[in-house]
Amino acid sequence: MVTKTKGMGELFKEVINKDLCTLCGACIGDCPYTVFYRGKIRMLDLCTREEGHCYGYCPRTRTDLDAINNKLFGVPFTGAEIGTVKDVFMARSRDAKVRSGAQYGGTVTSLLLLALESDLINAAITTNTDEDKLPEASVARSAAGVMAGAGSNYMAYPVLEALNRMPKDSKEKLGIVVTPCQAIALAKMRLDPPTQRASLDNIRLSVGLFCTWALAYDRFYEFLKNNVDLPKVRKFDIPPPPANRFDVYIGKEVKSFPLDEVRKYRMPTCAYCLDMTAEFTDISVGSVEGIEGWNTVIVRTQHGADIIAEAKKKGKLEIKDLPAQSLAHLKEASLIKKARAVQEIVKKTGDKNDLMYIDISHDLKEKLLGHKVGAQGGH
Amino acid sequence: MNKLAKDPINVVVAGVGGQGNVMVTLVLGNTLVHDGYFVTIGETYGASQRGGSVMSHLKISAEKQYSPLIPEGQADIVLGMEPVETLRVLKSYGNQNVVTVVNPRPIHAVDFTGSGAGYPDMRELLAQITGMSAKTYIVEATGEAQKLGNSMLANMILIGALIQTGLVTISREAIEKTIVDMFPKAVKENIAALSKGRELAAKQ
Amino acid sequence: MQYIDIDAPGSNQLFIGNEAMARGALEAGIGWASAYPGTPSSEILGSLAEVAKKRGIYVEWSVNEKVAIEAGAAASYAGIRSLVAMKMNGLNVVIDFLSTIVLSGIGKKGLVLMVGDDPAAHSSSNETDSRPVSKWLDIPLVEPGDFQEAKDMIPYLYDISEEFGTICILRSVTRVAHARGNIRLGEIPKVVHKARFEQYFDPAAPMPTPIMCVPSSFRHMFQHMRLDKIREKFETSTYNKYVGPEKPDLLIVTSGSGWLYSQDAVNALKAENRIGILKLGTLWPLPEKLVKSCLSKADKVLFIEETDPFLEGVIMEFAAGFSPESKRNLFYGNHTRHLNSFGELTPDAVIKAITGVLDIPYAPRDADYMKKVEAVPQQYVMDRLLTFCPGCPHRASFWAIKNALAMDGRHGFVTGDIGCYSMALGPAGFFQTRTHQCMGAGAGLANGFGQLHRFGFDQPVVSVVGDSTFYHSIIPGLVNGVHNHSDFTLVILDNGATAMTGFQPHPGTELTAMGEPAAQISMENICRAIGARVEVCDPFDLKSTTRTMLSMIEQKEGARVAIMRRTCELVRQKKEEKPYKMKIDPEKCLGEDCGCNRLCTRVFRCPGLIWDPVAGKTKIDEVICNECGVCADICPEGAITREAVA
Ligand SMILES: Cc1cc2nc3c(=O)[nH]c(=O)nc-3n(C[C@H](O)[C@H](O)[C@H](O)COP(=O)(O)OP(=O)(O)OC[C@H]3O[C@@H](n4cnc5c(N)ncnc54)[C@H](O)[C@@H]3O)c2cc1C
Ligand code: SF4
Ligand code: SF4
Repeated sequence: MVTKTKGMGELFKEVINKDLCTLCGACIGDCPYTVFYRGKIRMLDLCTREEGHCYGYCPRTRTDLDAINNKLFGVPFTGAEIGTVKDVFMARSRDAKVRSGAQYGGTVTSLLLLALESDLINAAITTNTDEDKLPEASVARSAAGVMAGAGSNYMAYPVLEALNRMPKDSKEKLGIVVTPCQAIALAKMRLDPPTQRASLDNIRLSVGLFCTWALAYDRFYEFLKNNVDLPKVRKFDIPPPPANRFDVYIGKEVKSFPLDEVRKYRMPTCAYCLDMTAEFTDISVGSVEGIEGWNTVIVRTQHGADIIAEAKKKGKLEIKDLPAQSLAHLKEASLIKKARAVQEIVKKTGDKNDLMYIDISHDLKEKLLGHKVGAQGGH
Repeated sequence: MNKLAKDPINVVVAGVGGQGNVMVTLVLGNTLVHDGYFVTIGETYGASQRGGSVMSHLKISAEKQYSPLIPEGQADIVLGMEPVETLRVLKSYGNQNVVTVVNPRPIHAVDFTGSGAGYPDMRELLAQITGMSAKTYIVEATGEAQKLGNSMLANMILIGALIQTGLVTISREAIEKTIVDMFPKAVKENIAALSKGRELAAKQ
Repeated sequence: MQYIDIDAPGSNQLFIGNEAMARGALEAGIGWASAYPGTPSSEILGSLAEVAKKRGIYVEWSVNEKVAIEAGAAASYAGIRSLVAMKMNGLNVVIDFLSTIVLSGIGKKGLVLMVGDDPAAHSSSNETDSRPVSKWLDIPLVEPGDFQEAKDMIPYLYDISEEFGTICILRSVTRVAHARGNIRLGEIPKVVHKARFEQYFDPAAPMPTPIMCVPSSFRHMFQHMRLDKIREKFETSTYNKYVGPEKPDLLIVTSGSGWLYSQDAVNALKAENRIGILKLGTLWPLPEKLVKSCLSKADKVLFIEETDPFLEGVIMEFAAGFSPESKRNLFYGNHTRHLNSFGELTPDAVIKAITGVLDIPYAPRDADYMKKVEAVPQQYVMDRLLTFCPGCPHRASFWAIKNALAMDGRHGFVTGDIGCYSMALGPAGFFQTRTHQCMGAGAGLANGFGQLHRFGFDQPVVSVVGDSTFYHSIIPGLVNGVHNHSDFTLVILDNGATAMTGFQPHPGTELTAMGEPAAQISMENICRAIGARVEVCDPFDLKSTTRTMLSMIEQKEGARVAIMRRTCELVRQKKEEKPYKMKIDPEKCLGEDCGCNRLCTRVFRCPGLIWDPVAGKTKIDEVICNECGVCADICPEGAITREAVA
């Protein structure tokens, strides 16, 4: 693929200053000119290079989805609702301890633990929740470390910075948990691998999280601080539709906020996001509509299939078929996210031929533009 | 009797902040005043420690006190402590009769560095300097000074070379007295540097 | 080392103008000298300080110019010849006192104010001409035309000051004060100073008390009567002279640096027979008779002055009142644009002015040579911008300030002040400074910006000042800020010296001007006493300094102070060896590649680091680097390392 890449000046002009940044972290960590501070990527000085990895890897600069799909799965991007699928089912951890700290079924945590235990990886890069209940990146090298990362923090956080910071000569085998936008950045890295830092081949397992939208770190944190007793918070949850709630578990209680109120703090860039099921990873994991304590699991690559097989063999996961209706709903939700993104983008650019960062076929574009979407994004 | 080849003799000392430009003019000036001349020295300063171009004007006369600045194109001698600075001064103050003594040791400027251009090619730079001078003495002052044990002695080597040009007659006693006054702790080294400078210029 | 008090009357010495003035002061038998440093005036007090103890005089670097002159006046009141020195900016600070001491008069002994002007603002924030203050405030003013006069005029001026009981001003410019030339020394008298403030209530006494400026109109009238008498005296002063033919084609009227340039120009044009020069040394009150008689020599008159057309104005005004029968001149100068009233005077400017009036050919270099001049490639003579010294703490301080402001992201900015750190307007300080005016202005502006939140203003404001500046003129700004809840951060770059002007002591340093132990005034105690939150950090610790800056910027309200403390590199290197040995590993250096793009040589830009475009790597220039170690912390690749020198 020949996508003309640009430099940091343009990255700020086209993405960051326009509030399109997803906070994936691809542009920070190995560059002295950019830092993450209080919810924003900041420019310390202007790098004058005409081409930079920062621009090249950003999931909101022109992204050739065909090229990525080809690279990862050997086929072009079709726009299928939930991406490339080897297998889909529902699962949960067999370990009650894992389940108790986990978001839903603890599948993600279980898989990471297994990968670590079976020496598939030496370290897991995840997003944890710190004492202030803010997200923070973690490179966990022990079971305890991985367990500490369980649970979802719905604020976007630039976890790829931690990957960029891995020592250049590191041979550590890595597992990484990413949201869909982070997965796109990771895939763009694989298309044009950096030469000046640790090899991407070190990544042996990428686990994607389903995502409808994420919350803006700084603004949402203000909201939380003003409304709940932060130190006592145990868990955040957005139960699958039709719940329409944001639940905060405080000690033994649950404080619920109408999702509409919370939605105000969503990252503006999420409105333009095409991917709900983290299509560019080895395995994607989300909730199951109507069935509490279980995860929807989509296996996408051979790597993914292998670890699932291993999990089955070692009895780490309890696996069941996903009810057809759940799958249908998932597909519809995912398609709606795609359609809404394309329609929002055209609203913004005012030009059907300008899809900002998205590079897709004409037919797919027309299909998505024509698809009916509801009034607002669910979760 | 006026021992100057011309009255006044206009000398421009060109260098970079921190090189000791003021020291050079002081050694020359004090010596010449003791020898009975009128000397006027004007300097560009503010830059004296901060990496900027530094230039001193030295006017020597047997007759009267001149102003501290040399008009454009009116230098008789350019004493260049640094090649780019030497060329810069020739551009403004050089003329068809000017005699140049230059130390070919570069001092990089943050601006050369910042822009990524690097320092100009030394051979071409020296060719420009030679082309703009009636006579040029290229004196490896810094290198020789390091051999003598201290790069600051480069200045005294250049002064030696300047004396050797014969354009200003400075008595041995007078300059040695200045050295004793100004550098009481390093008289021998400075006198050695002075002779080294004369020796290097004599060969050219 | 040679001191200005060398005991060799009649001998010839090479002095800079300031030393000549100081020597003149010793020959005048002064007992007191006070000043605030400022180029081009600093060496007056500096050179006196070196000999003060030996010569039994008192010398002081005062906290600011106003205190300097008021303290100096006290010496005069108590019967001690007193000298006060400052640059032209300082004159603005003391105007209020000057406007009253001309009315109240001085003591029994003379009081002379030496003001150094800096045309072209080589080392200044402006290039104001001080001479008009004489006319404005009714103060006698003289201006030396060469180095000898710079010395000789001082005893003369003390005599005038004492004879007429008024403060007098000596104005000099950079090219006299800071240039070097021949001086023939005179005797330094042995004076036994005895101070006593006599309190005579008799109005007829030589110095009746109380000393006061009221009744003002009456005293104003009295000062004008004095000026008339001084004018008479000036008519015959040997510092005014005419040289040239009896009937010149052109009369140049000049003073100060213009005197030497005019002579040089006439000489270069070989026009000695056509041009006459009236050189004035006593400018105010104007010696009118002398001027009138010289004007009658020529039809054409050209004023050569640095900077303002001061004589041009007063003489043309004076000539306008001549009777109809007297000779009328054609005047040239600034009003005819033959000369600029800005920038510095140069021999070339004078030559150009003369050849603009008289048709005299002038071409110092031949056409061939001019071709060569034009052929010099620009990249060979690229400008060398000024920058902080290698190892300067300011570079590190501004790095931290820059990063903190960038991380905060609300478009905060720095209001600047006067000192080496003024260079932060440019790449040396990463273009952080957004306002640059006079001493103290940065803090004053910050006070104002810090109140504008009520009108929607939400940018962090950082006032950056030096240590000497802090004592000189920042304290009231901080008091105002704390008292009125203004929202700004004051950063004091405390490098332990007035580095810009030559490392003079200030109230925070250990020694007085005379080298005696001083009572050190702690700036943090002052700030805390005012009620500000104060943090002290070491700018070489970039991480913690940046963190401190962030916490300062993010504080919601009230003036707060960050003191970035580290000794000026030029002072440190006189006392200690280099602390580290710096190395660059070319294997690790990324150079222009993605991930660095020459952060060190392109942005940080310490002169100790040089870029090798051929190798595509950064190198250490071992002659220039002061081995401070800071760049090791900015290199993202760890390519630059420092090894402590045992
Ligand atoms: C911002 C966000 C939005 C989401 N939206 C949806 C949705 O719309 N529908 C849906 O079905 N599921 C969504 N999820 C996924 C869901 O919350 C669970 O993470 C997922 O189902 C896995 O469950 P689990 O029990 O296996 O998790 P666990 O075993 O508890 O593992 C959770 C993993 O998520 C990682 N993580 C936590 N916070 C973040 C973060 N801010 N960014 C990146 N990684 C993080 C942790 O490091 C941990 O590895 C979202 C997750 C996030 C972070
Ligand atoms: S900052 Fe480090 S990696 Fe970058 S050019 Fe300088 S030495 Fe090389
Ligand atoms: S150590 Fe680095 S920052 Fe310090 S003087 Fe040397 S090159 Fe400059």
